[in-house]
Amino acid sequence: MRNVLRLVWFDLKSELSPPIWIIMEWTLFLVQVMIYGAMISQLVDGISEYRQFFAVGLVIMITFDLASHTGRHFVEHAHEGRLPYLLSLPISRTKLFMAITLQGGAELALMLAVPLTFTLFMLGNLTWISIAACVFTLFWLGFGVAGLMLGLSFIAFKSSDLYTAIVTGLSTVIIRFSTVLYPFFALPPQYASVAAFSPLTYGSDLVRYILGFDPSILLDPMYALAVLLALSASTLGLGVFLMQRLVEGVKSA
Amino acid sequence: MFAVETEKLTKRYGKTYALKNLDFTIDDNEIMVLLGPNGSGKTTLLLILATVLKATSGSAKVMGINVSTQSTQVRKILGIAFQEARGFWRHKPADILRFHAKVCGVPKSERETRIENILKDLELWKSRNKLFMHLSGGQAKRQEVAKLFVQRPKFAIFDEPTSQVDLRGKRQIWEKILKLREEGSTIIVATNEVREAEYLADRVTVLNSGDQVVCDTVRSLKDSIAGGDVVELELDAANITGLIETLGQIEGTVKITDSGSNKLKAHVSMAESWVPRMTELCYESKARILSVRITEPSLDDVFLHFAGRTLSEGQ
Repeated sequence: MRNVLRLVWFDLKSELSPPIWIIMEWTLFLVQVMIYGAMISQLVDGISEYRQFFAVGLVIMITFDLASHTGRHFVEHAHEGRLPYLLSLPISRTKLFMAITLQGGAELALMLAVPLTFTLFMLGNLTWISIAACVFTLFWLGFGVAGLMLGLSFIAFKSSDLYTAIVTGLSTVIIRFSTVLYPFFALPPQYASVAAFSPLTYGSDLVRYILGFDPSILLDPMYALAVLLALSASTLGLGVFLMQRLVEGVKSA
Repeated sequence: MFAVETEKLTKRYGKTYALKNLDFTIDDNEIMVLLGPNGSGKTTLLLILATVLKATSGSAKVMGINVSTQSTQVRKILGIAFQEARGFWRHKPADILRFHAKVCGVPKSERETRIENILKDLELWKSRNKLFMHLSGGQAKRQEVAKLFVQRPKFAIFDEPTSQVDLRGKRQIWEKILKLREEGSTIIVATNEVREAEYLADRVTVLNSGDQVVCDTVRSLKDSIAGGDVVELELDAANITGLIETLGQIEGTVKITDSGSNKLKAHVSMAESWVPRMTELCYESKARILSVRITEPSLDDVFLHFAGRTLSEGQ
């Protein structure tokens, strides 16, 4: 376990020196909520305080971006020659998978520190319980998406172009066809039927439920929690399986 | 027990064989050099032994441990320096070595001393605070092999350890590899540099297109080429044609040609036993030997002999 933490810290350290990209992400979030969120909330009917709804949506999008970045990171490792090195270290494949996902989780926590705190503050709900509940939900959502992207990353061993095309297409669908920016009831039926398959639908509705949004505009929280846990468990399981059985270095590296 | 043992080891990419039914062994504390042109399967073999690649069929054991079924155990006793140093672009050389040493279990008490010494010995000390991505190709390569000199694994794998490194650096790395063996490691080195193979090898395995062509000591490989040694003679003899006939009777003579001006060129096996007999016969024939020059075959000649092409033709 010590080696897992060493690997996480070693990689994270370089990402944090200097931490400009994290600060930029925080700034971008604040600008979007303060300016764009304030403007768009004037245009939206049917949801009181749409800016708050929008802020939670942004938090979910950051979670999704970071989690899918973990999968892309893994692909970059393979093509930059880092993966063969990692595979040669005295760490089991399962622990290596854990290290990669933990690093994704740590980056996610850093990235969300300001956006989540700000959103909770804006909602007047900045308590330890709400922080813990949100972090729990976002981590499961993040793990689920990271597992999905890591699973897909094996395509990149055959063709990185194909991987990029699939992930870009999938990301577009998963974000747009979800309740990240609009409640489920407001979606046209064609959109809603696709949104029912997006993990972000369940993640965002569950977080909003925890933060005290009107339950009538959200999906059943127990149902959302069950879907999220099932997704995370299955994609993480798939990731571990692929890592143990299929992963190997790129020969040319 | 062999330090490394493979049995019918095969790696296939689609219909292309990178390795075909490879059976080979490395003795404990031996330096085995894999010699072959690019694409001969050297890197594939090393990556399978390092558990980075999975074999399509066959088996491989390192210190008696199966690389496919007990890969984590195998990784605890080996270290690999990859052909191309890539990866931790935004880290500093000393940090990369420190991380490697920690993960590979180098005792804390020795860690910093080993890192400092190797950075100095491989002339990386001044660059220790540069980011890896700012190192030159040669420096990056030194950094890559330095990991193993800090780790000192029981089984060390070097894939073209001195490519991109200048002559002085090559010599430093070779000396370090020999020292690593003295300290008890078993070592495998893949190379397509004949000089490197001759300098380091206890035994050489010649690979060509995924097949093992031959495996033996450098001396035996050279001796195994019939007529591989070339003896150039300058003589003062009355009857040079008769002398050619006489020398042709010596055991191990493959061919003698008259180069003109009383000069002969003899292709022989085992020049060390051929030359004394030649001296005796010249004396008996009243021929005076003015000069003798012996050239032994290079490993490139060995490769040509066994594979039907030179190493450089295979690049």
